[in-house]
Amino acid sequence: MSDYLDRFGRDQSTCHRWPPLVKLYVAMGLILAATCAPITHGPLLGLIACAIFFVHSLARIPLAFVARRLFFFWPPLFLMALSLPLSQGCRAGWLMSATIICRGTLSFTTALWLVNVMPFDQLLATLRRLRLPSVFLAILALMYRFLFVLWDELDRMRTARQVRLFRKPSLWEQWQQGAQMLGRLLIRALDRADRVHGAMMARGWQGETRWLEQRQKDQR
Amino acid sequence: MHIQDGVLSPAVCMATGALSLSAVAYSLHRLKESVGDRTIPLTGMMAALVFAGQMVNFPIGAPVSGHLLGGVLATTVVGPWAGCIAMTLVLFVQWALFSDGGLFAFGANVLHMAVIGAWGGHAVRLLVQRFVGDSHKGIVVGSVVSAWCSVMAAAALFCFEFRLSWPAGEIDFSKVFAWMVSFHSLIGVGEALITGVAISFVLNQRPELICRAGTSVRLLHKGDLLPETGKSSGPTVATSITRTLAAGLVIALAIAAFLSPFASSFDDGLEAVLSKLNITEFNLTPSVPGLFEDYDKVPVPLASWQAIAVSIAGIGGTLAVFGLALLLGKALPSGTAAMTSEVAGE
Repeated sequence: MSDYLDRFGRDQSTCHRWPPLVKLYVAMGLILAATCAPITHGPLLGLIACAIFFVHSLARIPLAFVARRLFFFWPPLFLMALSLPLSQGCRAGWLMSATIICRGTLSFTTALWLVNVMPFDQLLATLRRLRLPSVFLAILALMYRFLFVLWDELDRMRTARQVRLFRKPSLWEQWQQGAQMLGRLLIRALDRADRVHGAMMARGWQGETRWLEQRQKDQR
Repeated sequence: MHIQDGVLSPAVCMATGALSLSAVAYSLHRLKESVGDRTIPLTGMMAALVFAGQMVNFPIGAPVSGHLLGGVLATTVVGPWAGCIAMTLVLFVQWALFSDGGLFAFGANVLHMAVIGAWGGHAVRLLVQRFVGDSHKGIVVGSVVSAWCSVMAAAALFCFEFRLSWPAGEIDFSKVFAWMVSFHSLIGVGEALITGVAISFVLNQRPELICRAGTSVRLLHKGDLLPETGKSSGPTVATSITRTLAAGLVIALAIAAFLSPFASSFDDGLEAVLSKLNITEFNLTPSVPGLFEDYDKVPVPLASWQAIAVSIAGIGGTLAVFGLALLLGKALPSGTAAMTSEVAGE
């Protein structure tokens, strides 16, 4: 599952070896530039797009991967952007929707780059260096760990449902079963949180988080 | 649902960012002072649950499917403070892993889905529970109504932010809002349905898991009974007033969503405020004079008809949600949930 999320996060390229803060600032600068550039300044937007393309190729992220992510990203953005001119009877608002699509796409590809050059543990370490509250980061770290556990749980429940179903459920039944699956997952998750808490207590958990500073350096 | 970068102007992004930063900081403060070591794994699990829960698809048409938002679900189980933190983390991980939602629009996303979803949802649920009662039925009805209200309030707030972000005159905003509101009223009904069925299922199976009014986070171990609203968990007068105010605000926003298409005069008022505050230079897109002329050529009868249609849809949606809430509440003790749980279970 980790491969699915940040697939190229553990590659070794020029971009991956940059210090984490530099990566973060580069991404923020590119997104800021993309969201502030006016749509009428074509060359400027082209320049930003080139810069994004450049960092992507520096990180050796395959173009096909970016294209696939864009394929899933675009429909909701287009829906949102095109609702503007469509609601005006196609007479106005084209410039606005073009702006939204342009800025959205540029910032999305930049964020995609950041995700794929910065593994999650590195992101956590960076956030800690930026002095975010440690409780917040502890919850975030645990959430990331639990995510995979719950995904597996959900997968098992899906399999169990498929095995026991002999016909295609109607639309209403699908909704009902989905919501009840959520409820069941909720119960199991809370029970697991209880067990995890017990295990943490058994290992000396006293409500504060201790980070291993060294771990980050060793991994690099 | 996520707002991407570029939809809102930098000024609006900064304002919403500041608002949600303070809201999240306050939640974190309350979370730290209210409970001990148990909160951290519990909140982390809740955040992971909402994230995983959004992977469950609810089919609408052939290619289109919806999913849970989860703010009200989280807040019903772990309380408003932990719920707000959990939703913020969900949004953060969605940005950090899927690049869903923008970096600079993150504040707006947190405000809409985490703060309104958790704080507003909690306030509305408690308000409804005061009328329906603290029973299981009250919890289900309250969560259904608050799920719907929180989606509509978020939609109204988005319309307002969107209006602030773009220069007037280029397009007729009331029509955009009409689209937005009709779309979100559907999302709201879906969210209410999912939340209601999931919570009534949990109430059927393990009622002690659901957070009762007044207790902010489940403190006790499995098997212990939660304290009834007594000396430790009884809300003080001040918090009850704040809660009622918050609930009123969310409900007002939800209602405002349906009035927004009517707000053609609102445009002028807002413009006046903007020019008075001298913040028009934040609008980065130059308005095009050629498109400007179309603005007042919009046939008025059509516009008002549309607005009326949206309002009727809104009233219909509200009635549908209340009917749904009562039905779910009534159907609670029956065995249907238990029967289908075998299918969903292992």
